[in-house]
Parts: sequence; C-alpha cells; structure tokens
Amino acid sequence: MSEIMKVEDLKFSWGDNLVIDSVDFVLRENEIVSILGKNGAGKSTLLKCLNKILEPDQGKIMIHGEDIREIGLIATSKKMSYVPQSITSNFSMDVFDVILLGRRPYINWSVGELDRKIVSKTIEKMRLTDFAFRRFDRLSGGERQRVIIAKAVAQEPNIFLFDEPTSDLDLKNQIEVMKELRKIVSEENGKAALIAIHDINVASRFSDRIILLHEGKIISNGKPSDVLTPENIELVFEVTSRQVVDEDGILRIFINDEITKD
Amino acid sequence: MVNSYANTKYLGEIMDSLSSKYEDKNRDHVVKILLLGLCTIVIAIFALGQGSSVNLDMLTTAKILLQIEEGSEIQRLILWEYRVPRVVFAIIAGIGLAVAGALMQGALGNPLVSPLTLGVASGAALGAAFAIFLDLTFVSELLAVLWSVVTEIIPAIPVISFVGSDLVLNAFFFALFVVYIIIKLGSVRGVTAESYILVGIAITFIAGAIVQTMVYFATAEELSQLTHWSFGSLARVDSREVWLIGGVVIFLVPKALEWSWDLNSLSIGGDEFAISTGVDPVDTRKKILVLSSLLTALIISFTGMIGFVGLAAPHMSRLIIGNDYRKLIPCSAIFGALLMLIADTIGRTIIAPVVLPVGLMLSVVGGPLFIYLLLTNRGGH
Repeated sequence: MSEIMKVEDLKFSWGDNLVIDSVDFVLRENEIVSILGKNGAGKSTLLKCLNKILEPDQGKIMIHGEDIREIGLIATSKKMSYVPQSITSNFSMDVFDVILLGRRPYINWSVGELDRKIVSKTIEKMRLTDFAFRRFDRLSGGERQRVIIAKAVAQEPNIFLFDEPTSDLDLKNQIEVMKELRKIVSEENGKAALIAIHDINVASRFSDRIILLHEGKIISNGKPSDVLTPENIELVFEVTSRQVVDEDGILRIFINDEITKD
Repeated sequence: MVNSYANTKYLGEIMDSLSSKYEDKNRDHVVKILLLGLCTIVIAIFALGQGSSVNLDMLTTAKILLQIEEGSEIQRLILWEYRVPRVVFAIIAGIGLAVAGALMQGALGNPLVSPLTLGVASGAALGAAFAIFLDLTFVSELLAVLWSVVTEIIPAIPVISFVGSDLVLNAFFFALFVVYIIIKLGSVRGVTAESYILVGIAITFIAGAIVQTMVYFATAEELSQLTHWSFGSLARVDSREVWLIGGVVIFLVPKALEWSWDLNSLSIGGDEFAISTGVDPVDTRKKILVLSSLLTALIISFTGMIGFVGLAAPHMSRLIIGNDYRKLIPCSAIFGALLMLIADTIGRTIIAPVVLPVGLMLSVVGGPLFIYLLLTNRGGH
C-alpha cells in the first residue's frame, strides 16, 4: 500500500500547554486508521492541525510527498476533507445544497452537471434521498451528522479526517456510516481515512490500524489487537478490560466496571 | 434507515431525479427574483407619478419618461429634476444597504446583524454631530485645499466642486475611520466574528456618548438638525450625487457576488467547516466586512440612520429563495429597493405636502410586514 500522508515530529501547544508532542505516523492507501485516547488527549487538535484549522508549532505534514504548507487551502481541500464533531448554524439550506458545498473547491460560480451528479450519487449512496430537499436545520443531530459526512464524500478527497463521526448516530446508523466509509476507502483508489473516535469496539471493527494517543504522545500504533491490549487500555483509560474474539472472528473489547485510578 | 425509494428505483433514475429537482428549484427561484424585479420597476414608475404637487398615472409617467408623450413643462421639470433622482436614489440606497446587511449577516454568521452593527453608522453620526454642533468642517476644507493644489500642478483639470455638504463629508470621513478600524481588526491574529460585533458595539457606545455630550450643550436649532439627520432621509442628495453613489454601488455589488460560495460555506457551517471546503474564514470575513462597511458608509452619510432595510431585506429574501448567496444577494438587493421605494412613496404622499422621512416609514410599514412574514413562513426557508 502506498503512502498518502506522512506526519513528522508534529508539535502543537495552547499557550504553555503542550497538546501534541512529537507525533509521527504514516497513513497509507485504502487504510482506515482510528485515533483513540481519553478526553483532552489531543485527538481533535491533531485532526485540526492536519486540516490547516490550527497551525502546528513544529513538524511536517506531507501529502503525496508534498508539504501542506506549500499548497493553498483550495488545493488542500481537494486532498483532505474534515468533518467536525458538530455543526450549529443560524442559517439554513436544503440538504442537497449543504452536500453541494463539498464541491466548493471545484466550483467557480455555476454548478455543472458533473457536480450535480456527484452530489446526487452521494445522497443515494449515503441513503439520504428522502432528506435531499429538506431543510438542514430541521434534521435531527444524527441526520445532520450524516449530511456532513456526505458532504465530505462528495468532496472526493484522498483523505477523510473525521472527528467523532458516530457520536450523534444511533447504533444502526453508526454501523451503516462506518460500512459505507469502509467501502469507499477499500474500493476506491488513493483513499484513506483518519478518525478520532471514542467507541473502542467501532474503532477495532472498522480500522486497519489504531493510534493510541496519551497526553499528546502516540503510545501505540498498530493492528487493533496489538494496540487495544488490557495494559494499554488501563494506562490510557484507567479501566480494566479483556479482549475476546467472537465466533465470527471479530475482536471485541469488554470493559470491566473496575476503575483503576480515582 | 429503510429507504424504499432507493430499493425500487435504479440508481441512475434517482440521480437524474435529484439533479433535475435541484435545477427546477433554482429555475423557480430565478423566476421569483425576476418577478420581484418587475414588481420593483412597476412600483418605481408608480412612485415617479406620485407627489405633493403633480400626480400622474403610470401610463402617462412611462410615456413622458420614454419621450413618447411630451407632457407639460412643469410635469417634465418635476419628473426629471426632482422625482427621478429621488426614486433612483431610493433604489440605490435600498440595494446598497440590503446587500451590505446580507453580506454582514453571512460573514458574521449572525441573523441579528444589520449595517448598523459594526459601528459605521455611529461613526457617521459622530461626524454629522461634529459638523452640526462644533461647525467642524475640516474634511471639506481639506479636500478643497487638496483640490486647489492638484489644479495648480495640473491646470488642465477642470474646476469642479466636491459632492456632498459639509455635514455629509464629515459623516463619510468618520464612517471611513470606522471602516479603517475594521480593516485593522481584520489583521489581528485570531480575530473572530464575535470580535467584530463586540468592537462594533463598543464603537457605537463611544460615538453615542460623544454625541450625547454635544447634545447636552446644544441649542434647539442644532438639536433639530441632528434629529432630522438621524431620521433617515432621501432628500439630501442632488442628481449628480445620485449617479456617483449609484456608480460605486453598481461597482461593489458584483464584487460581492464573486464571494457567494465562500459566504455559503461560512454562513452554514462556521469557520472550521469553511476551511474544510477551501475557504479562508479570516480573510473572507475581512474583505466582505470591508466592502459592506464601505457600502454602508457611502449611503448612510447621505441618508442618515437607516438600518431596518439592511436587517429585513435579506431575511425576507431567505424566506423565498433560501440562503444560497448567488441568489440571496440579487434577491436582497431587489427587496431592499422595493422596501425603500414603498416606504418613501408612502412618506411623500400620506400627509402631503409634508414629507415623512423614509427611515421612519421603513420601520412603521416594513416592521409589521417583516414580523408577519417571519411568523407565517415557519415551514419555508
């Protein structure tokens, strides 16, 4: 698998508080990588640094060998699409128009046939046909989240950067969204996804690799079964756990009720 | 989610149906905007025929304007010298303020914003107050000196007088000073939409306090002048000024249209969402606020305080065509012109020969209409 993104020695701090500390990792083609860590570990900050929302203090972010500082915002948005945790807006548009904003980097003024087709195809693919011409602000939190994910898909980037994409979704929608993402990343050439997520089992089921972030540093990076060990989980989340592989061969992490630190 | 529609139709059919539905919606919006434009032209012709002295029906007014019918000398004089500049100015001021309001609301992601929010109008009021109370007219004197120097160096330049009274020039200069503060603020690292609004509120308080201090020591005549300025009126311009302001507005509004997609992204999703679509929120916000503040400064300096049209016209437009700025900017412009024309025509005719200021009429007539539309269109955009 060829390398799409390479992050080297990334540091970011809010004032004196070092939030991201010397982070290095690589993202490869057709790969879903989940970032796990407790609240405040730096997951969202890391994604924001990658998408140019925040400017790192130090380090290099390369996409296809090109330093992202050297490329403009429009070119960056054709390569990466970021989905924030939530969106609140005082104005509204139809769902179709919101997803169309994913085509913003490709549109100068008028919306061409290709853009309309891509948006329509994404709406169908993400099972949003019934919502297509409903107002975005009248949707539930979960429906809105699916629309924003669809906007990212319509953007046709190489890399999806998702910050808690399933936080507002019910169980069925979590599975559907992650399956669709898995399909896009696996089947389309040159795609990869980096996801900040809290749900360990969703992460282990749909990710090729897991990056465990603790106090701004990567403490483990590898296959879910290698990273989500009881020792690592106890160190990061301060709870005890056990790994079980079910009859379908899927890795499940059971968290015990035991909290190891107060 | 169970999606029976998707199960029963082929993907291609669904794609075509969504795509054509989007096109139909856009076509429908364009038709609505054109109808509103047509409505504005009809009301403008009606407004040209109405006044305290000579009243003409619409057909006669149109015929005289198109020189199909000659009309009497007094009719031609009143029409061309008085009413055409006033009606054209109502349209231009309505367009300028409504577009400024739409741009500011989108750039700041706040539906409560109007052209008065950033303090530009308060700056203009301070300038007007300096001219009225302290007879401070250094702006026009400075311009006169500058012009004399220019004509001395290049004698071929014909001698022209400056547009605007001392009061208008002073108001414009102080409004421009606020625009300068907005430009400087835009260059501050980490400036947010809220920063602009808070600075605007602070400027409004500071300018208001200085004006109130002058009011405290003012004579009755001075007070009357300031009060008259603050009502908002279309009577302070001559035809030359109307064309000049019109030229600037016609130049600036298409510039705003170029930023429609940036505004769509910024107004719907905020800064992080905008960045993810390739829009730099800080830079976009700065250039849009500077342009809309310039529009506001130019118009408010001549008209006095008119804020309502800049708040209401964009919202009325959103009720009809949604928040796509490619359509919202032209629709707000037409709504602004329409509101201003209706308010001014009522103000000129309701208790003629007394002319009620357009700023008052806008709030009295437009306010209830605005509330009615908001309350009855909860299902629409």
